[in-house]
Amino acid sequence: MTSTSNVARSSGWRVQRLPTIDGRRRAIAYAIAFVLWLALVGGGLSLASFAVRDIVLRAISVTLGSSYGIQQTLTLAAPLLLTGLAVAVAMRIRVWNIGADGQFYMGAWAAAGVGLFLPEGPTWLMLTLMAIAAGLSGALWILIPAIGRAYLGISEIITTLLLTFVASFLVYYLASGPWRDPEVPTQAATARIIYELPALNDGAHLGIPISMLLVIGFGIFFNYSKWGYEITIAGANHDAAEYAGIPVRRRILQAMLISGMLAGLAGMIELTGVVYRLQGGMSNQYGALGIPIAAVASGSISGVAAAAGFFAILLNMGVSLQTQGLSVHSVLAITGLLLFLVAAAEAAARFSICRMSASLAKIPASGASI
Amino acid sequence: MNQIAAEMPASALLVEMRGIDKSFPGVIANAGVDLDIRHGEVHALLGENGAGKSTLMNILTGIYQPDAGTIHIDGQALSFRSPRDAIAAGVGMVHQHFKLVKAFSVAENLHLGFGDKPFLVSRSTLRRRTEALEQRFGLQISPDAIVQDLSAGEQQRVEILKALIRGARILILDEPTAVLTAAEALLLFDVVRRLTADGFAVIFISHKLDEVLAISDRITVLRGGRKVATVPKDATDDRNLADLMVGHAVTPQANDRRLMERHPAIALHDVSTPAGQDGCRLDSIDLTLFSGEIAGIAGVAGNGQRELSEMLSGIRPPVEGAIRIRGVDFTGRDAKAFAKGGVGHIPEDRLRSGVAATLSLLQNAILREYDAPPISAGPWIKSSHARQFANSLLAAAHVSAPSIAMPLRNLSGGNQQRFVVARETRIASQVLIAAYPTRGLDIAAAETVRAELLALRNKGVAVLVISEDLDELMSLSDRLLVMYGGRLIRERKPPWNRNELGMLMGGVGGGCRR
Amino acid sequence: MMELLTGMLTTAVVAGAVLALAGTGELLSERVGVFNLGLEGLMSMGAVMAVIVVNAGHNTSTALLIVFGLGLLLGAMFAVATVVLRADQVLCGIALTFLGVGLAAWIGRSYSGQIVKAQFDVISIPILRDIPILGRALFEQTILVYLSYIILPVLVHCVLFNTRHGITVRSIGENPAAADASGIPVLRLRFCYVMLGSALATCAGSYLTLAFVPAWTEGLVAGRGWIALGLVTFANFMPLQVSLGAILFGTLSSFGFAAQANGWPIPSVVFSMLPYVGTVLFLFIRAIARRRGQKFWMVPAALGHPYFRDER
Repeated sequence: MTSTSNVARSSGWRVQRLPTIDGRRRAIAYAIAFVLWLALVGGGLSLASFAVRDIVLRAISVTLGSSYGIQQTLTLAAPLLLTGLAVAVAMRIRVWNIGADGQFYMGAWAAAGVGLFLPEGPTWLMLTLMAIAAGLSGALWILIPAIGRAYLGISEIITTLLLTFVASFLVYYLASGPWRDPEVPTQAATARIIYELPALNDGAHLGIPISMLLVIGFGIFFNYSKWGYEITIAGANHDAAEYAGIPVRRRILQAMLISGMLAGLAGMIELTGVVYRLQGGMSNQYGALGIPIAAVASGSISGVAAAAGFFAILLNMGVSLQTQGLSVHSVLAITGLLLFLVAAAEAAARFSICRMSASLAKIPASGASI
Repeated sequence: MNQIAAEMPASALLVEMRGIDKSFPGVIANAGVDLDIRHGEVHALLGENGAGKSTLMNILTGIYQPDAGTIHIDGQALSFRSPRDAIAAGVGMVHQHFKLVKAFSVAENLHLGFGDKPFLVSRSTLRRRTEALEQRFGLQISPDAIVQDLSAGEQQRVEILKALIRGARILILDEPTAVLTAAEALLLFDVVRRLTADGFAVIFISHKLDEVLAISDRITVLRGGRKVATVPKDATDDRNLADLMVGHAVTPQANDRRLMERHPAIALHDVSTPAGQDGCRLDSIDLTLFSGEIAGIAGVAGNGQRELSEMLSGIRPPVEGAIRIRGVDFTGRDAKAFAKGGVGHIPEDRLRSGVAATLSLLQNAILREYDAPPISAGPWIKSSHARQFANSLLAAAHVSAPSIAMPLRNLSGGNQQRFVVARETRIASQVLIAAYPTRGLDIAAAETVRAELLALRNKGVAVLVISEDLDELMSLSDRLLVMYGGRLIRERKPPWNRNELGMLMGGVGGGCRR
Repeated sequence: MMELLTGMLTTAVVAGAVLALAGTGELLSERVGVFNLGLEGLMSMGAVMAVIVVNAGHNTSTALLIVFGLGLLLGAMFAVATVVLRADQVLCGIALTFLGVGLAAWIGRSYSGQIVKAQFDVISIPILRDIPILGRALFEQTILVYLSYIILPVLVHCVLFNTRHGITVRSIGENPAAADASGIPVLRLRFCYVMLGSALATCAGSYLTLAFVPAWTEGLVAGRGWIALGLVTFANFMPLQVSLGAILFGTLSSFGFAAQANGWPIPSVVFSMLPYVGTVLFLFIRAIARRRGQKFWMVPAALGHPYFRDER
């Protein structure tokens, strides 16, 4: 604690914390996290006596090496783009939509309801109705958490997540009970919905470009509109937003409703583009994966596209490895590890270790203010 | 643990700091600073904001570690790795922003981190021990009171008591009178004199020259991170000290009070609003600001000033009464409408609530004018216009930055202030509400702000200055009001009686209703 | 009828014990200012590890010890990120959930469905257990129940509010700058309490597989971690209220039991949903019931904010 001699240090190492980090530092941090993650995952897999090199090469060739693989990746990317967008939109105003899976289910449910019980009609019309129903349903499902957060200070993390369980129970119940398809007794699913998203020429469905367009569109909207500006300010500093006359609570509500709507839409797209039946478990963790996607995109709306692509590849590899004994939940664990490392790396990047010089530099021109 | 330093001191100096260096990313806070403190003396540390006073004291209290230099307490060379070490060496600090746990009681705060108490403490044990300690040092506050409910002066006493209990022989007071009424300040000076008579040393950080000259024995002046001089009180005066602080002769801005044609710019009729956080309820306030005048409101923070300035700028709607700007009813309209109506507002805590520091200069520049052409067109913000606007704002504020995409917090504090002032004066075509406008600014910057306010007044804008600094208010204002307990006390016309104003600020009877 | 009530109460008590234990752990963490959103993952890891240890031939006490150690380890990892590096607590917590749930599913795949070879012994308190209805439910339970509802919350309450250490701990969650200036080692204490909280959470998970549902399946925890998080807020960060609230939340699980026993014509899905809907409802009710002028929750002021001494 005390020392009897105190030598004046004129040079040495010191740890400082930077108030903001630039893109370069962040990129390096992400790269280090990524490499560390690869090492840990590879290490873990080989510990479990998987032949890592073979697995990885096989996964890459299956996923990216064939047109079928690419098509699959894109198909996986469609819902991920939307759920990632949903979480990113909420993140902009510093709100967490952890329940995107729940809104996904409610969107799929509403779309299935329209598709199964409304009188038949032309495909384009029905698909549009289903999309609207899905969006509304997703938004309604997040309404209660949104009100709780905006007006009662109830953590939206907890409420959105709890409602996810409710939604997944509901869908499972309907799919295996009242709405069950009697002609396919082995599957706990509804009848096949006759409206399908049109396929594009290489087997992927229309939902993919639609999702992409939505990401780009929202990116533009958030960066160039007044509403997007207000959201950004409110997310950065509530007090400054109120000072400028921005209605913060209303914006929180609006951002969350949009977030819910997008997740609901993801459910509809998955329903009409891939599975064609409402069934339990169809959310496939897409909603949960939206969180690391938005985190990796670090708040940038348009960055969601790249992040979703990355996770789609990852997910596809995971699926292809199922045959080798890796379960779907392993993907979740691996994703969690990546998220953890990215969050830790970003925080670590703020620390800079610098060497104190013996001679002090001149005082900077902008003026010292302490 | 009350170590009375009347025993034979181990050395002539109680504190000896030599060659202290400290820097942060992009900023050199202290460079080769020396400081000597004698037993039983009141030593003032003077300097503008940015001179390095707080950094130096944070080093002495163990919050920061110096990059170079030595510290001797009572002749013994020590190095403080954490506040714990400094406390053990007898250094105690009362910070400008109190480091008290608001949700705790006085007793709990006093016993925070205090080693000398039993493991198990019930509420009554704490109360007994607290009362005993208060007796010993002669400072009385109710032990069970929750700190949040205490006045600033009472909270300060808790802080002082906290330091003394831990055996502080050196008490550092950082801008202690900033939040006190005149009466409370006198009480504080009594406490200081009593402590030094008992052999304690008190380091008094301030920028208020008259107080420094009144209370201290010796004065050390810092400028730009270096020590400029240490002088005994009798060998200097306020002019000399001001010169030392700034580095060149300072001539205060002349106030050329012309008589202008006046019309009511903004008027509050019978307006009421509930208390905000740490604030005061306002009941039936009447206030009219006229064009081409500077109206000053004197008062200690927490008496309703925040509620008043928020109402005048549209952030807080009144629950009763009406607000008119140039005769047009603005009651219930939001801050955006007020901004468009020509009301600018430099908020009290401008770096916390007036800007989003993590966002870019561009985003902060358009904060008050983004909702109207030319910056916006329909629902969109036109980025070219926005960029142009931001650049011209930076130029008007005399702030240079490598790019408007840079986060605002990369600017120095002084530059951030200039930024906000420039942004608000731009929209203040009718009214400017300036809350504590020179708080946290160095002398040169403060002069600039004052000059801006006067220039606005001469252009016909109604300027409201809310401040605790009576000198500043008396030199700037055309008329003065005092705010206390959520009420505006009868207006005073010049010439003003300082003592009377100080007493009114300290208030008689009541205080805030919530 | 009496049998039914007793049965419901027993289920409620056991279900709530898991929540009380995890909730108390989370309370420790949140009282020092750190959100640990990884409860679900921690509980999963605890649950699966308990099964592995016990089915390898050890007794429940050994299992509990190992699970506790695992929790300390995971908590340390979390604390390095959130307390030392000051990474975003929400992201790290969610990451921990993913990691924990996924890893537990993978590790436990060969144990799925196996009945656990040992369970916690029931400790019967004489006399008290003969009280009608309440007796068997409250006083004929395993040690972990008594621990979760009574021993731990009372201990935590006494420490937090009646000792000098408690003042220290609470001050870190309210105003770490003040604590730091008073010489309190903020980061060190935060680290320790986060570790401790995580360890309690893993133990709560072990209780699931060693007493409640004596077998492991994937997704066993089924959101209880999140319910426990809600419980801490609902209880206004007070240990004794966590204990009481846990019983309340536990009763939500017991309706399903009653329905099954009595053959009520309500589809079982309603009872599956009840714990989650009920938690949300309780949170809303508590928030609305708060008197005007007071903030809704007595949240530790610094909760969620990483502490930097050197912040410029």
